[in-house]
Amino acid sequence: MSLLRGLLGMELIETSVRLFLDFQEKLASLDSALILDVPLGVISRIEKMGGATSRGENSYGLDITCKDMRNLRFALKQEGHSRRDMFDILTRYAFPLAHSLPIFAFLNEEKFNVDGWTVYNPVEEYRRQGLPNHHWRITFINKCYELCDTYPALLVVPYRASDDDLRRVATFRSRNRIPVLSWIHPENKTVIVRCSQPLVGMSGKRNKDDEKYLDVIRETNRQISKLTIYDARPNVNAVANKATGGGYESDDAYHNAELFFLDIHNIHVMRESLKKVKDIVYPNVEESHWLSSLESTHWLEHIKLVLTGAIQVADKVSSGKSSVLVHCSDGWDRTAQLTSLAMLMLDSFYRSIEGFEILVQKEWISFGHKFASRIGHGDKNHADADRSPIFLQFIDCVWQMSKQFPTAFEFNERFLITILDHLYSCRFGTFLYNCESARERQKVTERTVSLWSLINSNKDKFKNPFYTKEINRVLYPVASMRHLELWVNYYIRWNPRIKQQQPNPVEQRYVELLALRDEYIQRLEELQLAGSAKLAEPSTSPAGPSPMMPHVHTHF
Amino acid sequence: MEFSDLIRTGRAQAKLLRGPEAPPLRGTLCLTGHHLLLSPGPQATSELWLLLLRSVDSIEKRVASDSGTITLRCKDLRVLQLEIEGVEASLDIARSIEALSSLESVITSFPFFYRPKGLRLGDAWHFHPPERYYKRVARETNAWRLSEVNEDFSVCPSYPRAVIVPRSVDDGALARSARFRQGGRFPVLSYHHAPSGTVLVRSSQPLTGPQKRRCAEDEELLRAVLAGARPGARGFIVDTRSSQAAKQARMTGGGTEAKTAYPGWKRLHRPLERGQPLQESFVRLVEACGDPQQSTDSWLCRLEGCCWLAHVKEALSTACLAAQGMEREGACILVHGAEGTDSTLLVTSLAQLILDPLSRTMAGFQELVEREWIQAGHPFQLRCAHSAFSHARPKHEAPTFLLFLDCVWQLGRQFPLSLEFGEGLLLALFEHAYASPFGTFLCNSEKERCLCEVRTRTHSLWSGLNQPKEQRKLRNPLYAPNPLAIWPSVELQSLRLWQASLSVLLLLRPISALDPPT
Repeated sequence: MSLLRGLLGMELIETSVRLFLDFQEKLASLDSALILDVPLGVISRIEKMGGATSRGENSYGLDITCKDMRNLRFALKQEGHSRRDMFDILTRYAFPLAHSLPIFAFLNEEKFNVDGWTVYNPVEEYRRQGLPNHHWRITFINKCYELCDTYPALLVVPYRASDDDLRRVATFRSRNRIPVLSWIHPENKTVIVRCSQPLVGMSGKRNKDDEKYLDVIRETNRQISKLTIYDARPNVNAVANKATGGGYESDDAYHNAELFFLDIHNIHVMRESLKKVKDIVYPNVEESHWLSSLESTHWLEHIKLVLTGAIQVADKVSSGKSSVLVHCSDGWDRTAQLTSLAMLMLDSFYRSIEGFEILVQKEWISFGHKFASRIGHGDKNHADADRSPIFLQFIDCVWQMSKQFPTAFEFNERFLITILDHLYSCRFGTFLYNCESARERQKVTERTVSLWSLINSNKDKFKNPFYTKEINRVLYPVASMRHLELWVNYYIRWNPRIKQQQPNPVEQRYVELLALRDEYIQRLEELQLAGSAKLAEPSTSPAGPSPMMPHVHTHF
Repeated sequence: MEFSDLIRTGRAQAKLLRGPEAPPLRGTLCLTGHHLLLSPGPQATSELWLLLLRSVDSIEKRVASDSGTITLRCKDLRVLQLEIEGVEASLDIARSIEALSSLESVITSFPFFYRPKGLRLGDAWHFHPPERYYKRVARETNAWRLSEVNEDFSVCPSYPRAVIVPRSVDDGALARSARFRQGGRFPVLSYHHAPSGTVLVRSSQPLTGPQKRRCAEDEELLRAVLAGARPGARGFIVDTRSSQAAKQARMTGGGTEAKTAYPGWKRLHRPLERGQPLQESFVRLVEACGDPQQSTDSWLCRLEGCCWLAHVKEALSTACLAAQGMEREGACILVHGAEGTDSTLLVTSLAQLILDPLSRTMAGFQELVEREWIQAGHPFQLRCAHSAFSHARPKHEAPTFLLFLDCVWQLGRQFPLSLEFGEGLLLALFEHAYASPFGTFLCNSEKERCLCEVRTRTHSLWSGLNQPKEQRKLRNPLYAPNPLAIWPSVELQSLRLWQASLSVLLLLRPISALDPPT
């Protein structure tokens, strides 16, 4: 149990990265020392429990709430004020922002033989997609983040839209997040475009430039008569947003567009839903009505809606029926989920380890998913209304897909869990700050290490042995409640009763079998070489490499 | 009676729909005494389609102006639809299927006529006699002997001819103990756990009745069980009923072991669902899975309402309790409920899978099913007469064996390398337990199988399954022998719905998920 009780004589070794606790477990008669390894970045809240007058074992100490679905409780001795010191040190290093200290990533001097910061190069990625082309151009209008401070420096826009057009469109989109290209279909050339909501407001404002711009996007594909707009929000929320100046594209203003709402709820609903999940799995798993309790968290239902939305986007584009424009309110939460998941379904490149890293860098990090606000790195305001598990939800969707398509992804479950662990750990600079402009100001790429350095320098650990590389296969997961399951290995991983065998024995066995196959192939080659050499001996003709080398196929 | 009396129309033109994943078949439909055939005609490429009539669980007919539609719901949960030309013909065929699929006679059933190429009658029936398991026990301990007290099935009609009992107890005492146990099922050895020197024993409830009767021989028998185990071993009696239900059983002549009468034995109650409530749970599960209208919003609540996974959890945790008692506590375990033919066997067989690496091999698992289910007298004919679709009023039906297979599947999911067989074998056993061309699951006991001469006149399922071309489909390619006990996590969070057994109902399956890449 991570809920640790009854420990006396605990030794707390503090470094600014991690909380290392080394102590003898007092429970039962087990002799083994238990080592708890918790990055301080994962701490969301530290509370003192009990006071000087508290009686009874375990009533006095520290209670630490973590961002990764667990709480730690340390019972301490009352004498000697040891708690106060510990509390102060922990608070200072767990919440450096409140104490004008640097986040640990800036102090981390780890060295890796691969530089993860070079993984994503936007020009290369767009070139891979076949861009620029006749209809789409790369623009540097946002080079100094003047057009939109939460967008990346480099954007792909319709060839026929001038930079002035873009500036005018920006005035009509929330936070200037104009529609820009995320992905283009290599054959039918339909596109996924992302943006924020139009600033329609109560009065139902219109903007000719925005309307024209959307039509220009539609016309990049001549045979298509309608542009499909997916508004990720529930209809009522989109309407409600008019009161604060936002809104959605009306039929009257946008003749050549069709709008659908995807009913995905906002960050607050998702936060509360995950909180309910935590309530039923930690510290004790809800036993008596597990399935209905799980259902009442609505977590899987939200997963279903996000996946369903992404499937619709992917299907529209893959069928060549229409280009798709995706937005929610600001276009940095639900929009990022939908575009990145749809791209994962459509483009097998993103299902490789590096491809997935590029996808995260591009659709999430560079397009300004507000990681700092959503996660609260080094921030002590645990109850901040900006916190929300949007990225976790995305990774959960990816996990659901990898369950349904066990051979389609180059990476394994450990890869996804590692990403989530370092989403909070503050050991790497990858997920720090809200947008590219802030990261540039802080020189994150120069002063911190990238998470991808860790992963790419030890790729084997994160590989899925069942992976079979396939080009051009579109994945349509089944987004039905009957086929979605709770990611037990992540959400309930701290519960020893649920613990699965690690490492995954099937993966390990498969790796062994693959190694064995390689060994046999090599043996076969050697024998054939020896055989042909023997055959060649009596004759004088030099025998080349055997043309009879059979194609060895091994199916397990 | 001849089958032909029941066949009103033997042939008609028809179209067969087999669900969304298979193309429809057209051809001539023929009805025989045991089968429904669809011959696609000479020019067609597809082969003859064949359905064993016994596997039909329910039949539904609808007629239009010049044709009829028959929906067949099978015991293995397949759903088939036949569109038949001619109203009269389709009604006749429906009635004939109804009559033929519900025939109760064993000796006119298909296994008595099935003569597949490449198999010899009588083969494989000798694979798993009680003597064979006894040889293994005898190598490990001297405390047990093979008794033929039930040679003519007079002591216990539901036991096999030979049973393994404590060496120090003679046949006379066994017979008297049998009179004190319901159905004559006196305590016999189920499994000897050599590493701890303890045993798993099973029986039926003692007939203590309201007067709290006692039986000296029965008490002696259980004393001998402890005496034959490692020195100082205690005993646990795992009663698969609640203590209240056990007390109530006294009113009808049953009951449970009194503490004072059996020193060294401690009673534990672990209520397991059985009989009709278990069948109803299965029916609800199948309904929920097959309901196309079901809005997915409340799927988990509905799944929970079926209670099926809760039953899986209870069965596994009771088996863990029995296994733990032996391995960790070094205690002997006696398992019984009331009759000792259902939940008792569920617990003893699962406990062996957890503890015994041999029972996790292909041959060992078949031996386990044969010894702990078939020869131990699980009444397959009664329990598997109908599956989840039948409209007939359930009498003795209960999916105890399916629950066992589900639990084994959960073990396999949690220990993917430790079972030599794969899901394919479990699915095959599910199918064959309910309807089969083989004789293995016929009748309710060894006695009945002897009377019907099942061993000499039908083929054994094991010889069918152990053909090389079948074996390839049934083995777990990742198997690596694991000498340790496998302790499953029994929490609901660790259990899953066994989708493959219900796959035909869970439409929208990502069928391409495991397709080989093209």
